[in-house]
Amino acid sequence: MARTTVVGACPHDCPDTCSILTTVEDGKAIAVRGNPDHPFTRGRLCVKVNNYEERVYSDKRVLYPLKRVGPKGSRQFQRISWDEAIETIATRWKSIITEHGAQAILPYSYLGTQGIINGLNVGDPLFNKLGATVSERTFCDSGSCTAYMMTIGPTPGVDPESFVHSKYILLWACNTLGTNSHHWPFIEQARKAGAKLVVIDPVRTRTARLADWHIPIRPGTDAALALAMIHVIIKENLVDRDYIDKHTVGYDELAERASIYTPEFAAQETGIPADDIVKLAREYATTPPAVVRIGVAVERHAGGGQTVRAIACLPGLIGAWKHVGGGLLQLPIWAFPVKWEVLMRPDLQPEKMRVLNSWRLGQALTGELGFDPPIKSLFVYNANPMAMVTEQAKLEQGLEREDLFTVVSEHFLTDTARYADIVLPATTQLEQKDIMFSWGHLYLSYNNPAIEPLGEAVPNTELFRRLAKAMGIEDPSFFRTDDEMIEASLDWSNPVLQGIALEDVKAKGYARLTMPSADDWAPHRDGNFPTPTGKCEFKSTITGGGNFVVPLFRQGYNGDQDGTPVDALPHYIPPNENLQSTPALAKRYPLSLITPKSHAFLNSNYGNLPAQTAQAGGEEQAVFLHPDDAEPRGIVAGTPIRVFNDRGAFEAFASISPDVMPGVVMAPSGYWHRSNRKGATVHALTPPAFADLGRAPTFSDVLVQVGRI
Amino acid sequence: MTYVVTDNCRGCRYTECVTVCPVECFHVDEKMTYIDPENCIDCGGCVPVCPVAAIEPDYRLAADKKFWIDVNRKRAAETPVLTGRLPPLPGADARRQELGR
Repeated sequence: MARTTVVGACPHDCPDTCSILTTVEDGKAIAVRGNPDHPFTRGRLCVKVNNYEERVYSDKRVLYPLKRVGPKGSRQFQRISWDEAIETIATRWKSIITEHGAQAILPYSYLGTQGIINGLNVGDPLFNKLGATVSERTFCDSGSCTAYMMTIGPTPGVDPESFVHSKYILLWACNTLGTNSHHWPFIEQARKAGAKLVVIDPVRTRTARLADWHIPIRPGTDAALALAMIHVIIKENLVDRDYIDKHTVGYDELAERASIYTPEFAAQETGIPADDIVKLAREYATTPPAVVRIGVAVERHAGGGQTVRAIACLPGLIGAWKHVGGGLLQLPIWAFPVKWEVLMRPDLQPEKMRVLNSWRLGQALTGELGFDPPIKSLFVYNANPMAMVTEQAKLEQGLEREDLFTVVSEHFLTDTARYADIVLPATTQLEQKDIMFSWGHLYLSYNNPAIEPLGEAVPNTELFRRLAKAMGIEDPSFFRTDDEMIEASLDWSNPVLQGIALEDVKAKGYARLTMPSADDWAPHRDGNFPTPTGKCEFKSTITGGGNFVVPLFRQGYNGDQDGTPVDALPHYIPPNENLQSTPALAKRYPLSLITPKSHAFLNSNYGNLPAQTAQAGGEEQAVFLHPDDAEPRGIVAGTPIRVFNDRGAFEAFASISPDVMPGVVMAPSGYWHRSNRKGATVHALTPPAFADLGRAPTFSDVLVQVGRI
Repeated sequence: MTYVVTDNCRGCRYTECVTVCPVECFHVDEKMTYIDPENCIDCGGCVPVCPVAAIEPDYRLAADKKFWIDVNRKRAAETPVLTGRLPPLPGADARRQELGR
């Protein structure tokens, strides 16, 4: 038996991008395990991918192109050849373009696979060239990114490995052990050296349980806490005046603004006692190095953007950036010199594009947005909107349209793929080649293919080569090989890649960017923020054009931006839906719903696979209520319940847990429709409203009622 | 839920598991390791690294192995935390072969 080990990297939309070793025997992958040599991921994987080979060889895989032979959504498909599939798509698209214009075609994708060449932007050149509707993808951290740009710019921030030097660690809306677990050993090392760990989360998560101090907070009120911390720090003169003078702008205005956000005000909004808020502010400001790690969840409510603005001001205020292990960690992705323009090709765009935000898919497909031309074809890859996107009922209605030509490239017949006219088989990470950034550490990774593609599955790169050819595109850049794409996707002359040869990354599987050591690097000790002023902007200088989405999330297009006026100073925007801001609505729907990531799923990935659904506690959607909320409703563990609001409903069996804050219902996302007797997911209830910045979703800003069935 | 060390560890005790556990939930005695179910964060990272496939999630245990859940709980409470890798027990490689691993 020929047995080899192939080094690769996890494809998932997770900060950790683990280095993976795949054991291959006679052309078949027999096991995966973590690469023990990787300095950040250190030989461990997680419950999502410990058995990745079972995903690869699942008998549910889509391995051949399929065409629909029954009513939409009926799962009746018939195998066809790739030639027929591509020919069908090209013929339909050409006729749609002739009849309605290219804007009638809509791509829809995100990070089902996160590799640089197969991930976020792989389809952008084709759809930009065609002039299709732009897909504005604000799934994750878009509001946070806009806020970040407005405050400290696209900086990698604190090296996650520098946390070992921190003395005060604030995990804010971040369940590290569930969704960023390879960062934990660095936090743990700091704690052994005396650091205090504080977790701010409405739920006593696995991470909160291990913290020194867990501060439960009402969903959507985090900005009130951050602004009250600013208030206390300024009022008690815990600021670093020297750092403020040298490296920040807008301090006086911030001080004036923060004067109204007293701890008492914040206590009323957040449910955190005022004394605790004062204590938190004092400890944070006086225990250097202090570091804040924000999770994606912090943006998912009406004021999510300004929440990140306020939090991003904190380190500048106390001079935390002066210390190794002090500052803020959001997305170290900004360290990677990815040539986004080469990947997205905005130069191919017609001058005027039409933009559709990812959270408006249902409205677009049902015609509610009044699009002219209407969307006549939807092309989905790296995404499963029927499980993960708001306004589910509307989306279903749209996908059922007989005149809508839907193509889905997938591993499985997902909740979305079942509505497709054509389903295309996509490769898994073991069958494809890629180079990977990370948004949780500073290592570039290389994914070597471990096995040949199963059946007729193809990587996204090949899929788009075939489509480009069929659409008559002749530009040779559309037909580069994967190796050529990898070479072209990074700026190899950038200082952070100095001394790193592609061949070495390929052989070893990873390389740390050429940056100072985590043991002596304080990236903004001397300011140098990548903002227009070069300073930390308490008062932002880039709010003039109003609200915007970073072009990276919209195929490189910068026209037709949101433009809603933005206050240049951080402030508190109360939730759209909660007891305080909407008491009338709260009479009918008194509980706040949150839909965090499932421990065993990666968004909707694995929601159909036996090992992970078993780990999640079974195939039924999990819902957790506090005993104080369960008892008056006559609900005990296992009671069949209905969770509902005006937008929709789903059914589940109740779990009762004191770990959830009273007044909060937690229903992890990622379950498929089949896990729910009503054929819905949690997103049947989530609102279409955008957060204040970057058109982030407002999934943690939802009122619901729960009742026995 | 938790992960559980079972009989294959007995007489081997390779302790590869401890090199990946992010929360130090492994305990040890002279025969084998045990997982503290209160501390386990259900990442399952130890499963693929065990050379003798001794670790399984509790819900996947066969009926005749369910008793290991209680054994792990009880012994983890009685034994010290394992903080680093130990040499395998004498005869570990022979036992590994015997187990077909």
